[in-house]
Amino acid sequence: MAPLTPEQTTPVGLRKKGGERFTVAWADGHESVYGARYLRGRCPCAQCVSEMTGQRLVFEEHVNPDVAVAAARTVGQYALHFDWSDGHTTGIYSYDYLRRICPCDACLSALEGGSA
Amino acid sequence: MTSPAITEAQVLDALRSVMDPDLHRDIVALGFIRNMKIEGSVVAFDVNLTTPACPVKDRLRDQSRQAVLTNVPGATDVRVNMTAEVRRAQAPDTSALKTVKNIIAVGSGKGGVGKSTVAANIAASLASSGARVGLLDADIYGPSIPIMMQTGTPAEPLADNTIQPGIAHGVRLMSMGYLTPGDQPLIWRGPMAHKALQQCLLGVNWGELDYLVVDLPPGTGDVHLTLVQTVPVTGAVIVSTPQDVGLQIAMKTLRMLQQTKVPILGIVENMSYYVCPHCGERDELFGHGGAKAAAESMKIPFLGEIPLDIAIRRYSDRGTPVSIAEPESPSGLAFREITGRLAQQVSMRAFKNIALSIVEE
Repeated sequence: MAPLTPEQTTPVGLRKKGGERFTVAWADGHESVYGARYLRGRCPCAQCVSEMTGQRLVFEEHVNPDVAVAAARTVGQYALHFDWSDGHTTGIYSYDYLRRICPCDACLSALEGGSA
Repeated sequence: MTSPAITEAQVLDALRSVMDPDLHRDIVALGFIRNMKIEGSVVAFDVNLTTPACPVKDRLRDQSRQAVLTNVPGATDVRVNMTAEVRRAQAPDTSALKTVKNIIAVGSGKGGVGKSTVAANIAASLASSGARVGLLDADIYGPSIPIMMQTGTPAEPLADNTIQPGIAHGVRLMSMGYLTPGDQPLIWRGPMAHKALQQCLLGVNWGELDYLVVDLPPGTGDVHLTLVQTVPVTGAVIVSTPQDVGLQIAMKTLRMLQQTKVPILGIVENMSYYVCPHCGERDELFGHGGAKAAAESMKIPFLGEIPLDIAIRRYSDRGTPVSIAEPESPSGLAFREITGRLAQQVSMRAFKNIALSIVEE
């Protein structure tokens, strides 16, 4: 995986549309629009990704289709934290990680068939 | 013969030729000029800098005065009053510490490199320059600030479960060391350290502060993560000895901070050299210049070097940092220069960073 530049991982705008959609505008001009279920299904916390093996345990299809962002806040200067409507609250999504899982067509095809 | 009245616009135009050397913009565009008064041939105004610890204060005052005298016809008496107001580096993301404008973390790789000494001296010299300063000793394993900054007023718990910080040398103080009796060690699991630091950050009545200096434990652990996750840290200062091994470990702490997007404000080289009190010869016990070279290769500001000087240790043990006990001594000067450069770096951040908060569409 190619390393990301500081511009690619520095947010310049954070927008939330109700509980359903979260948008990050990046310093390089790119914009990532995440659906709630997409993000919840990619939670990086130790309950959703095995601490020992790094294998993902909770996938998007395991998540309630109606899951919503109950609350969002920034963590220091490097990440976002979400409270989900299903009660899950343990994930800290670093900006690096968020940029890597950008769901736009261009980024997804760059991930080569979606290893994320 | 009377010349036409001097206008404010004329004075501002003249002042546009004065540049702030760090922010690379003129002092009018930066909004530094305040309270202008023109009476006949007398022009008076304030130059409101971004830090009272500004190292180029005198230069800016002279340049401002000269610019008006030279370029505004009829101005014969120019009175420049230097003031300062520390700008906030970024909007805090929670209500946490909203009265604190800048949070500066002081870290190191190894222990025993003089991190607390540097933190105490920086805090004391910022305060002596007129800034409102707090110092939080977050070194749970070896809290040494209570010794280095002996308090006039001790910290005390209040009825509403908050803590009133102590005060020493004009600095508001809180130490993890206050949480246990003097000679007892802290034996804590990570979660305890996490809670304790949160309480020291959020449960203390810091009041209005321009700078909160946080003295971190050595290395990269729970306390670092809690700090960067709880509050928006303006930036960090890394203290290292010149020696290779110390420096390599310091670089790990530096990279950890970079991974959590904490800007590195600079590196300080401590125990840089020893001046023999008998013959005056300079001895470089641990080598010299390693931190400067590392800073250059990583494109990070090098803030300065501090000699290995018995006076630093002696004043620390007596509870008064050398930067205020003997401000004109070589060590006192070294600390004050480092503080000035650090304050410049913080000011530059304040103009670069934009507040980021989540907005509802």
